[in-house]
Amino acid sequence: MITVFKWIFPAGLIIALSLAIIGCESGDTEAMQSEINDRDAMIAELEAEVKKMTEEMAAMPDPSGSMMMEETGSRLQTVQDRGKLVCASRNDVPGYGFLDDTGNNVGFDIDLCRAVAAAVLGDADAFEIRLISAAERGPTIQSGEVDLLVRTVTWTTSRDSQWGNYTQTMFYDGQGFLVRKDLGVSSALDLQGASVCVTQGTTTELNLQDFSNQNDLNIETLTFEDTDAVVAAYQSQQCDAFTNDRSQLAAISSGFEDRDAHVILPETISEEPLGPVVPHGDEQWYDIVKAVMAILIYSEAYSVTSDSVPSAATGDTKVDRLFGLEGSFGQDTLGLSQTVAQDVVGAVGNYGEIYNRNLGPGGINLPREGGRNALWADAGCMDCPRGGQIYSAPLR
Amino acid sequence: MSRAPGSFLTGLAYYQGVPVWRHALIIQWALQIVSGIVVVVLVASFFANITNAIQDRNIPHGFGFLSREYQTPIGQHFLPYESSDSYLYAFGVAATNTIIVSIVGVILATALGIVVGVARISGNWLVSRTALVYVEFFRNVPLLVQLFFWFYIVLTLPPVRQGYVIVDKLYVNNAGISVPWPSPPSWDAALVWMAIALVSIIAGAVLHRILTRREELTGRPSYPLITGGATTVVAAAIGWLIISAASGNAPFGISVPAPHGTFGRIAGGFTISGGLMALLTGLVIYTSSFIAEIVRAGIQSVGRGQTEAARSLGLAPMAALRHITFPQALRVIIPPLISQCLNLTKNSSLAAAIGYADLTNVGKTMTQIAPAVSIYILLMVAYLAMSLTYSLIGNLYNRRIRLVGN
Repeated sequence: MITVFKWIFPAGLIIALSLAIIGCESGDTEAMQSEINDRDAMIAELEAEVKKMTEEMAAMPDPSGSMMMEETGSRLQTVQDRGKLVCASRNDVPGYGFLDDTGNNVGFDIDLCRAVAAAVLGDADAFEIRLISAAERGPTIQSGEVDLLVRTVTWTTSRDSQWGNYTQTMFYDGQGFLVRKDLGVSSALDLQGASVCVTQGTTTELNLQDFSNQNDLNIETLTFEDTDAVVAAYQSQQCDAFTNDRSQLAAISSGFEDRDAHVILPETISEEPLGPVVPHGDEQWYDIVKAVMAILIYSEAYSVTSDSVPSAATGDTKVDRLFGLEGSFGQDTLGLSQTVAQDVVGAVGNYGEIYNRNLGPGGINLPREGGRNALWADAGCMDCPRGGQIYSAPLR
Repeated sequence: MSRAPGSFLTGLAYYQGVPVWRHALIIQWALQIVSGIVVVVLVASFFANITNAIQDRNIPHGFGFLSREYQTPIGQHFLPYESSDSYLYAFGVAATNTIIVSIVGVILATALGIVVGVARISGNWLVSRTALVYVEFFRNVPLLVQLFFWFYIVLTLPPVRQGYVIVDKLYVNNAGISVPWPSPPSWDAALVWMAIALVSIIAGAVLHRILTRREELTGRPSYPLITGGATTVVAAAIGWLIISAASGNAPFGISVPAPHGTFGRIAGGFTISGGLMALLTGLVIYTSSFIAEIVRAGIQSVGRGQTEAARSLGLAPMAALRHITFPQALRVIIPPLISQCLNLTKNSSLAAAIGYADLTNVGKTMTQIAPAVSIYILLMVAYLAMSLTYSLIGNLYNRRIRLVGN
């Protein structure tokens, strides 16, 4: 009996589908024809490309030479030939990637894309944003159809092995706390005996309990099914704090009428490191993106902003090396111009400028100082820790 | 006799001289057996399908998690709870939260429902129309909508740091209402005293019964109520004094709520949280509108002659209702009233929407880290156990009422 039932449903489905196809076919011959034409055009294009590639291969002086080298150089070459960098990102989260009033893509993730465009093409606006959903992130970067994935992607070991290479953590997201400013709380460690609102269904509650236990905070919780109820309870002060991912808190509180009366505390109680991802199999491209991220970070460490990019030697060896005025940090091996840092910082600014513009006071107002997204050390003094974790390989 | 000889098969086709396909007893049995087989096959294939699917898809299952530490917070709880307690205990804590809501809710809803139901058939036009509007409004708006309404009403109360304080002992704010509450310095002494108090109550009740009988039999005034009550109070008080002397502390003190810590959250006493307030208000009002209709129908089902007879005997309208009409109406009221009480218990599972840590709310949270299938099986068993218990109590009461009536 069960086997019969098992077949009725698929059979019905097949019949319905075939009916639908038959129905379409009789009506839409024109659409079909135009689709066929499109496909023919595409095939012709692909054939031309293959032909061109074969010719290039034939023209190579030493075809038996290192295939590896040829392959690893191809992404940079492709981007430069195309004249445009293709980044997969989003346009629906304020601060990270969204559309401004004039319809331009702006945000922290978008600026990272612009920095790479400035580095490899010398033009920060030579980029194209491919909008993708959260579920499309893996397949998009796996197929290599985009050059860079910058869409609030948490770095995890399984994604690193399956999706692509994570270059550099540029933002530490994670569970945080939103509180009213008038409580005078400056740290989540001050939440002793507080009542905290939380949404059900993620590991948020677990993280909250762990944090409370570890720090002996004796936090009381109110658990709600929906975000709407949590926000209402928080706004009418039924609870003192509201916990969620910090990016979520920022986005939600940006809709508050009195958003300036609220503050997101600097502590992050779960690990959500975000950063750009490149496709597997192109180590030069991987190194280029890492170097661009390092340029952004070190230009802030050296206090060089987009307004103060040096074009002549300053006498400070480290600054001069970064901006290609003395020595090298490997620009030629990476296939970048000697003065790549001047292009990048001049067009996009340093890490701090990008942060402030999008996530800081100029954007969704996430506090930075004292949190994990501060620089690892002070600008003038590499041994004076600032407590942050934004760090990259030194440029030399 | 008249049957054709030698035909064995024909003989089998007859039972008690009637062909089997027309024999009432055999047809009945055959139908029972066939329907039994159908039920067994359906249930068995259903469970086989579930277990196969669980195994095929590697869906986590099993109950091994119950003894692990739960490590997740529970909002308001009536039993003491630490995050290091086990899943099973946390489940019990959540079940207690639901049981308390259902017991308090059923009592309040029944009381309110009876009042509204009686008001509904009142001769006073304004009273009966108000009751009508009440019933029609609250039973025709979805419960979840009503719960959210009460939740937002509770949120309009001032926040905890600007809340109302009544003589430094009663705190009213949108986090809840906090009242002074008895709290024992040590549970050992408190439990001993509670046992003594129970014995005192039983002794008082027995005494009351004996004295009542004596009064009935001999006609001598025996003051059963005063004597019984005094016995209970004196025995409990003596127990109190002895325990106080023995342990150096009174078995129960009074815990007075007070603001605590940097956030001024109220600690101590007993707090009815905002979520619980909204949930109870919503459930009680919603259910009472149904109970009111049941009560009205019950009262109206009693013959008009009964009321008229009562009035002609000189009973006032309220007395006639209390002594003549209502006891007879109870027989009609009780069975549907039990269903309403069960409905209230099950409807309390909407609490997750408004932030009260009931059984379903905690169960849903548990599914983050424990197998969801197992959790939902546990939830079903827990609600079933609760409902069946209530049902049993209600049916026992119903049987008593019926015997008295007949």
